[in-house]
Amino acid sequence: MFRVRSDQETTDVGQTFYNCELMSENNEKKVHGVVAEYTSVDTLLSACRRVRDAGYEKTDAFTPFPVHGIDKALGIKPTVLPWIVLGAGLTGTATALVMQIWMNSIDYPYIISGKPFLSLPAFMPVAFELTVLFASFGAFFGMWALNGLPKFSNPVFTDPRFDRVTDDRFFLYIDSKDDQFDRGGVEKLLGDTDTDYVQTVVDDDSSDKVPKPFFMMWGLVVGLSVIPLLVVLKMRVSHSSQPRFHVFYDMDFSPAKDAQQYSTLFRDGRAMRPDVPGTVARGEEQADLNYMTGIDMEALTAIDRPRAERLVRRFNPYFQGETESAAENETEGAGKTSTEIEPEKKPVTVGDGDSDKSEADEVPDATAEPSVVEPTPWLDSNPLVLNEKVLADGRKNFGIYCSVCHGMNGSGNGLVNVRAQKIISPDWIQPSSLHQETLYANKYPDGKLFSTISNGIRKMPGYAGQIKTRDRWAIVAYVRALQLSQNASIEQFKNLDDSERAKILKEQIEAKKALKDKADAAAKAAKEKAQADEKAVLEEADAQEADAREADVQEADVQEADTAKAST
Amino acid sequence: MSEHKALAPKSSDDPAFMLPASLAALRLPLCVGGFVLMLLGWWLASGIGDYGNNFGMSVYLTAAVYCMTIVLGCLFFVLIQHLVRAGWSIVVRRIAELAMVMVIPMGILFIPVLTSLWMGEGTLYRWDNPEYAVEHGLPGDVWEEKLRWLNESWFTVRTIGYFAVWTSLALFFFKNSVRQDQTGDKAITDKMQYWSGPAVMLFSLTTTFAAFDWVMSLAPMWFSTMFGVYLFAGSILGAHCLLAVASYVLQKQGAMRDEVTVEHYHDLGKLIFGFVFFWTYISFSQYLLIWYGNIPEETEWFYVRQIGNWGTVALLLIFFHWMLPFAGTMSRHVRRKPGLVCAWGAYLLIMHYVDVYFMIMPTVEEGTAGGVMGVLASILCVVGMVALLSGLCLGLARQNKVVAVRDPRLGESIAFENI
Repeated sequence: MFRVRSDQETTDVGQTFYNCELMSENNEKKVHGVVAEYTSVDTLLSACRRVRDAGYEKTDAFTPFPVHGIDKALGIKPTVLPWIVLGAGLTGTATALVMQIWMNSIDYPYIISGKPFLSLPAFMPVAFELTVLFASFGAFFGMWALNGLPKFSNPVFTDPRFDRVTDDRFFLYIDSKDDQFDRGGVEKLLGDTDTDYVQTVVDDDSSDKVPKPFFMMWGLVVGLSVIPLLVVLKMRVSHSSQPRFHVFYDMDFSPAKDAQQYSTLFRDGRAMRPDVPGTVARGEEQADLNYMTGIDMEALTAIDRPRAERLVRRFNPYFQGETESAAENETEGAGKTSTEIEPEKKPVTVGDGDSDKSEADEVPDATAEPSVVEPTPWLDSNPLVLNEKVLADGRKNFGIYCSVCHGMNGSGNGLVNVRAQKIISPDWIQPSSLHQETLYANKYPDGKLFSTISNGIRKMPGYAGQIKTRDRWAIVAYVRALQLSQNASIEQFKNLDDSERAKILKEQIEAKKALKDKADAAAKAAKEKAQADEKAVLEEADAQEADAREADVQEADVQEADTAKAST
Repeated sequence: MSEHKALAPKSSDDPAFMLPASLAALRLPLCVGGFVLMLLGWWLASGIGDYGNNFGMSVYLTAAVYCMTIVLGCLFFVLIQHLVRAGWSIVVRRIAELAMVMVIPMGILFIPVLTSLWMGEGTLYRWDNPEYAVEHGLPGDVWEEKLRWLNESWFTVRTIGYFAVWTSLALFFFKNSVRQDQTGDKAITDKMQYWSGPAVMLFSLTTTFAAFDWVMSLAPMWFSTMFGVYLFAGSILGAHCLLAVASYVLQKQGAMRDEVTVEHYHDLGKLIFGFVFFWTYISFSQYLLIWYGNIPEETEWFYVRQIGNWGTVALLLIFFHWMLPFAGTMSRHVRRKPGLVCAWGAYLLIMHYVDVYFMIMPTVEEGTAGGVMGVLASILCVVGMVALLSGLCLGLARQNKVVAVRDPRLGESIAFENI
């Protein structure tokens, strides 16, 4: 067999070889095989059987429609395609299961619909789909691979007579790669069958150059398809101050309302909906009225039943309306626990005027003289179990919510106060120092302090909405610790060893001395400047004030250290 | 146009189209023996359990529903062959036609079910028990609405209606097909094709509601709109299995040896393979939706089937009603061996019984299979009923041909080739 590169012979593009007379010239070309034409299925099948029985294996039959039994007639071995499909399908199943187990159970465990992380039933639909998908790919691409596709041209196409294979002719082809192939013998064998036409299939002598426009189109498509990738890559590595580009608007601009926004959807115009009556906040399931109000409700019921009922209505989420007669029957409510008190009126909805009133009612009359007998039976002690954690939480929340006005040390000189003094705010009311004796536990019970934090006093707003009940009690505990820090004597520290004790005493003395020196220096300076003009005097006063503040802060540091120790 | 020359159809009175004498001789023993076995199984089952005849009736219903599904599957097979003008199946269609006429004896065998409904308060169907709603703490108004559908009279009317529809369909298609054996009139084929469309619609409606009434209402508060399809999936699978088994047995006994070829077994095998997965697909879909929704009123049905031994049965169904036959019938080489197709068909007919058993038996009051005795009684009952119906079917086959001998497409069917 000889081989001539076909591209050297493509000068006569227009010339075709299809006549038997030209066969001799084709000798120079590579021979691919021999093809014979048949006019009916029966002649084709009998020829197939002869070829098969003659021992040829690299054969093929071409027919315009499927012919049953031709596999057998031609001796075609069963295809391995089913195994490819089976393998691909099983790969799909395994891929889906591994993917889902990895994603949903291991890499990013996420509870979906309350199912376990690894729940096979939920994985089945995807496993099924991927099995079908992979099996389809296996069948499609496996068929291509087994058939050597894509194949843009076949040497048998060189024969124009072969075109009728899509219409009414049947062809049998014996490939030259067959071990037994011998051109003369094959032509004789086929010629003996019921055929009028036997042709040697030679190399296609038409140009095998790919047309230039194809490359241009191909380059264009590749070039264009790279653009999105480049854009994405650039976006990945660069920053931009521009708003992002919204291809789809759907979830970028959510119509959901933010807090405090107005909505026309509801009659009250509020976008945020108040709790449904009877809503129980998480963590407040065991609502204890004493704990919620800071008042000994049993005692209150005895002395001020209407007020106790208002409180019950406000705080007991389980409260349900009772008939008046039921309330009348329950005349001995005073002896009951607070939650059992029967109301006289129908329930009020949370947030309406009546409950606001009861809230206002809760604010103690702080302007009243301390000597006036306090009618409210406040809780005397903190209901929390006090420990280091409670105090730490109290300190944290005090620092967040209270210290801006009351100062970190509770002296009433927080940053807001400083600022208000500086701008001489006309309606500013000085925050109380928490170290006044009137605010000590024996005069101002824990429950009352809790109530003040919850409901506010004078300019101070209530913090019930911002600080959890438990944390408000923690603040109460911390305030008591702060107060103690101002009165603590070294004798109260039982577990100090002598060196520590001596150190603290020394620090105390030094701090006091420093304060005294500062005060003395300030007084001295004031005296010296007494003769200076008005303006100068005023300026000096400002400076003094600043110094005093500094001293306060130092003092506070000392106090805090003491407090921390006391709390341990 | 094929490797082996197809034979021309034989003349219509060829002995190959007659029921072999060896099988014909079996009909009386099968009828009598089957009837006795059925009664014996039923009687044994009646002695089990403390809830009257609840267990016995459940066993009987299981056997009846099992036979009913196969008979209905055969009816559907005939309808669908006409609907799609299938040519390949002509040689096996008569077997399905003979089996679908068994819907008439099935109607008689269903009388005990209706009797138990009228005679015993809630013996089988617990919604018939006036105390049911109270015992289970069901809301009265919901229960009232349920009872508008589930009550003795309306249930009976519906059951009679189903049998009336099926009997009419079966007799119409059977009689026309048999008449064609005499006349060879092609117009008969056209007529059957014409009516197969409406018939399929009627069939699907009646089958769905029959599944709701007979099986689903055993758990009165439970519902699954898929249940009819679930029962049907097993039904059509069982029909194809029956065709494979019956063809094989008939050929072994000498009938239609040249007519039914390996190609027909190949096609039956493909359909069995397909319907094995169809059954899996439907039953898993039903499970998945209920499992995912996780609503107590829906999970109830699967809950009782997941605890104790019923959980084992559920697993058995997964492995032996799906995986094993799915893998086993996947290969073309298996499907092109008539003996293997017949074996898988017989195997799946057994598994179909397990499936029906799994649908019905967990709802008996004790929720148990009644021990070894209960299982034995169930098997006796269903074997007896199958034998009885087989005997009747053989009797019918003896009076007729076992192949639609003058169907215009018989030659096409005989010459049919897959590859």
